[in-house]
Amino acid sequence: MSYTTELTDYMGFQGLLSDEEKLVRETGRKFVNDEVLPIIEEHAQKETFPTHLIRKMGELGFYGPNLPEKYGCAGLSNVAYGLLMYELERGDSGLRSFASVQGSLVMYPIYAYGSDSQKDFWLPKLATGEKIGCFGLTEPDFGSNPSGMRTTAVREAGGKWRINGTKMWITNGSVADVAVVWARTEEGIRGFLVEKGTPGFSAPQMHGKWSLRASVTSELIFEDVIVDEEKSLLPNVTGLKGPLGCLTQARYGIAWGVLGAADICYQTALEYALSRIQFDKPIASYQLQQKKLAEMVTEITKGQLLVMQLGRLKDQGTYTPAQVSMAKMNNVNVAINICRTARTILGANGIMGEYPIMRHANNLEAVYTYEGTHDMHLLIIGEKITGIAAYR
Amino acid sequence: MKLLVCIKQVPDLESRFKPNAGGTWFDEADLAFRMNEYDEYAVEQAVQLREQLGDSAELTVLSIGPDRVVEAIKKALAMGADKAVHVQDQAVADKDPWQIASVIAAHARGQNYDLIFTGMQSQDRGSAQVGVALAEQLGIACTTTIVGFACEGGSITVKRELEGGLKGVVRLKTPALVTCQLGLNTPRYPTLPNIMKAKKKEIAAIPVTELLQEGALADTVSFHPPAKKGGGVVLEGEVGALVDQVIGILKEKTAVLR
Repeated sequence: MSYTTELTDYMGFQGLLSDEEKLVRETGRKFVNDEVLPIIEEHAQKETFPTHLIRKMGELGFYGPNLPEKYGCAGLSNVAYGLLMYELERGDSGLRSFASVQGSLVMYPIYAYGSDSQKDFWLPKLATGEKIGCFGLTEPDFGSNPSGMRTTAVREAGGKWRINGTKMWITNGSVADVAVVWARTEEGIRGFLVEKGTPGFSAPQMHGKWSLRASVTSELIFEDVIVDEEKSLLPNVTGLKGPLGCLTQARYGIAWGVLGAADICYQTALEYALSRIQFDKPIASYQLQQKKLAEMVTEITKGQLLVMQLGRLKDQGTYTPAQVSMAKMNNVNVAINICRTARTILGANGIMGEYPIMRHANNLEAVYTYEGTHDMHLLIIGEKITGIAAYR
Repeated sequence: MKLLVCIKQVPDLESRFKPNAGGTWFDEADLAFRMNEYDEYAVEQAVQLREQLGDSAELTVLSIGPDRVVEAIKKALAMGADKAVHVQDQAVADKDPWQIASVIAAHARGQNYDLIFTGMQSQDRGSAQVGVALAEQLGIACTTTIVGFACEGGSITVKRELEGGLKGVVRLKTPALVTCQLGLNTPRYPTLPNIMKAKKKEIAAIPVTELLQEGALADTVSFHPPAKKGGGVVLEGEVGALVDQVIGILKEKTAVLR
């Protein structure tokens, strides 16, 4: 299939973009067309991550691009960051997840909560992709309710901490050089940087997924892991607001990203409907197919305008986590429905790897649940408008 | 060494084009614009030379057009050009290649550029004249459709692709102009940090009225899609008669049978 150079823009939202934002998107799109689309299907089939792209994405500045130049980052607007996520996820949700974790869940907490020496040491290396990070919050028994976590960190003599516990569903876990780990302490929940190879720390990969197959997902196991406070403890945050602050960043990127997955499925379905002949006419001639296509482009357009406004609020510093919840919840939901509907337009061809549809639809099953499930985001919005927390 | 690269912003070629109200060019509504592909080769080669020569060289990028072309200028700056000239022209599509070349020449005369890079042609108008006409108006050396470039000791050597896969090698005296062809290089991606750093680079805005002195030598009379093809000929009848008809058509309308 041909790779179109333009994204779907029914309502002309690109008229709201600066030149820099347009150029960031163009770089992201060209990278995905040149480097990702030709190889990603095979990686998904074989359940491997395209590791050769890690440094390339670093060279282009794809990690933590909204962090300051001083650390080797680009200092992008939040809208430009969102557009990059859109283009990366048009390639694959696994690729966008890699960049989300590296930027929003590893570089962001080091930047926001770390000491100057931690920032100076880690951020430039993470920005280039020389070092890879992962984020350990979720546990086997604590997903939506992270405050119940069982992983503990206990202060030891001589400026050391002892960490014990297990984390699960950790993107990049087995390939990471450093894990940002959240653990219960006497003072509340604290964040720690744990380096690969620290005795007692292991990260076995989880296999057999039918979603995000071109992405590494792992367990993190801590058995009497001793870390140095100065190097490891993130000094500037205590409590659940630490990890939740990171998740807000990542969810923002997801709300943009999933539209990229929806867009390529919509464009594929549109192209297919125009060329597939049944009963002597392109199937795009039939009202049932037109209804599907019209609803798909409408939902993509609404989603774009939602994240566009959210991005501008974030640039002004006036956005709220509950607004991010609405964008993540809505856009993942419309994206997964668009992918599934695209599958029906392609008929039997829709299940084949030759087209990107099933890969994206399956990927979005994971995205629907991670970074706050669809249901939890509904409850966050519910709490915001009623003042009543229904999840407690 | 003073270097200039001239770029044009063109519509995405996958767009659906329709004629404008005057019927002499395409309607720009709903089109997405980007840097002309051949100009990307020109920018890449100019940036490589700028890097080779270090701070003894300065690379200027120039584009003519309305405000939207600033995006393409910023891309060239993000790829590594030092500064830019934006010749502001709301009616660039109404000018013929000779006039476009004359506008660039009017700017370039006072600047003493040693080397000028352009794309081989634009993807929309495709005249392949602007670079050559610019060199002619400046009275400098010119080589077209280059696929190889080297600059050593102030001497420029370029490789050209000729018909049938033949190659030609040309040595040029500076000042000179080269037009760049597919295969010359692989244009770099503008990295995200460089896109942001380019915001600090100077873009001088010059109204086209200050530079335009020449009249048009050629006018585009009409712009239109190709006429729709007919529905084909359906032959009916006995097999033997059909064969005779087909042979007749092939003899009459093609060179397959004589």
